[in-house]
Amino acid sequence: MIFRPKYFFGETFSGLRRNFLMFFTAISTVAITLFMVGFFLIIVYDVQAILASVKSQVEVAVYLKDNATQEFKDYLEQEIKSWEEVSEVVFVSKEQALEKFKRDNEGSEILKEIQGNPLPASFEIKLQSPEKVEQIALRFLTKDGTYIDGVDEVIYGQNYVQKLFSITAIAGSIAFLIIIMLLLAAIVLIYNTIRLSIHARRKEIEVMKLVGATNWFVRIPFLFEGFFEGVAGSSISVIMLFFMSNYLLIRGEKAIIDTLRVKELAILGSSNVILYIYAGIIVLGGLIGLLSSSFALKRYIRV
Amino acid sequence: MNMIEFRNVSKVYEDKTVALRNINIGIKKGEFVFLVGPSGSGKSTIIKLLIREIPVTSGSIFIAGRNVCNLKYSRVPQLRRNIGSVFQDFKLLPNKTVFENVAFALEVIGRPGYVIKLQVPQVLKLVGLEHKMKSYPHQLSAGEQQRVSIARAFVNRPPILLADEPTGNLDPVNSEGIMKLLSRINLIGTTVAMATHDRNIVNSMRRRVIELEEGEVIRDQKRGVYGS
Ligand SMILES: Nc1ncnc2c1ncn2[C@@H]1O[C@H](COP(=O)(O)OP(=O)(O)O)[C@@H](O)[C@H]1O
Ligand SMILES: [Mg+2]
Repeated sequence: MIFRPKYFFGETFSGLRRNFLMFFTAISTVAITLFMVGFFLIIVYDVQAILASVKSQVEVAVYLKDNATQEFKDYLEQEIKSWEEVSEVVFVSKEQALEKFKRDNEGSEILKEIQGNPLPASFEIKLQSPEKVEQIALRFLTKDGTYIDGVDEVIYGQNYVQKLFSITAIAGSIAFLIIIMLLLAAIVLIYNTIRLSIHARRKEIEVMKLVGATNWFVRIPFLFEGFFEGVAGSSISVIMLFFMSNYLLIRGEKAIIDTLRVKELAILGSSNVILYIYAGIIVLGGLIGLLSSSFALKRYIRV
Repeated sequence: MNMIEFRNVSKVYEDKTVALRNINIGIKKGEFVFLVGPSGSGKSTIIKLLIREIPVTSGSIFIAGRNVCNLKYSRVPQLRRNIGSVFQDFKLLPNKTVFENVAFALEVIGRPGYVIKLQVPQVLKLVGLEHKMKSYPHQLSAGEQQRVSIARAFVNRPPILLADEPTGNLDPVNSEGIMKLLSRINLIGTTVAMATHDRNIVNSMRRRVIELEEGEVIRDQKRGVYGS
């Protein structure tokens, strides 16, 4: 086939001009649906980041009895380090604990009442997989439910940790479902708009086939059009998302950073997730436009 | 050699309707043939088989000596470029001018611009519409619209022209004009086959008549009339 850009572009754009309403509908459908997808992606990403950061703060604190021997401490440290669920173990001596306590409570009345050093030494354990926190904590118990010798108490937020994990799991699957549903809705809506605009031009296709145009010749202007509508629509949604992020969502993220100390957020995080979302939406728009035209054409072309 | 030849062609549609039974027809190059018969007798089916809009059920069809039944799907456009076709409903594009409608047929088969500028006015002159090039279909009479569709079918100078009830929507005066035009196209050497159930037209032309009834050829007469 001879490639004739003048014909293809001419046909694409004269098609656009004549079917302005169809064209406008297709582009706004793409823009609105993909805007929703992008908006939810940002929100979901941030919620996941917050939950992940809360999860990573889950720690096990093992408080030691004052009479625990150095051998016992060394033995326990080695033992804890050998567990693969553990990412980091820090030993906090009685002195360090007192210093930290003083720092945390500077200028407070409590400090005056402290005599000697009532604070215990401890191991602070950070976990590779926070979900395992309960199993780790249980290792400090003997069979009859008392702590092993030398350990005074093990604290890991017994009550809230399990709830936190089930919440994150549920939130994760709901977010995933919402994104999938939005994406499906976007695809169905865009496909139908493009199918309608092809349907409106079925007579043109019929005549083309009748006078002996090859399938590619019939197809290419429609594919161009679908692709163009997809890219134009998704670009508009990216522009809307851009303003949405920079004037609205960014304030929310600042608040999250100030209060929760979460770092890896979509807009303000260091990995520029937002840019990937923008790029992904434009690619997605072009792809959905192209594939929609290609599938919608199947019904009209085989004559 | 026959330009068009049907050998034992039968057509059964998906819903088991038998449209053609064991048809044998030979049409020579440059001939003018009427396909007549009541509605539902299989005339349109013959036309659709020739342009490979539908496949045959059994038998074979030869065009210029070539069996077109086993034509690869990708070769069908080439076949259609050699067969102009005209229909009762014109099939013009309402948002293109007369010139653009005709030019469209050349554009979509990849003809270069200078060929289009040369051939479109020529063929519009042949059908007598050179002064209406910039009009839109809705600004034309039905007869003029059918002329545009004939111009489009013929602009590429195909050796075969098929017409399925081309006068079906026209009054007698306009019909006569269309018949004159088809005769002229036939005189240039084009093989013309026209399906019709218009008794007066067939009788006034005195051309070869192939009569169908319930999918069978019941008469094939040299200088025939409608109904024996
Ligand atoms: N697409 C189709 N599916 C099923 N039956 C059809 C189809 N097209 C035509 N027929 C049937 O085939 C027979 C011949 O139809 P057709 O060739 O259109 O006749 P004509 O053009 O002479 O009126 C009729 O009985 C008609 O109902
Ligand atoms: Mg018919």
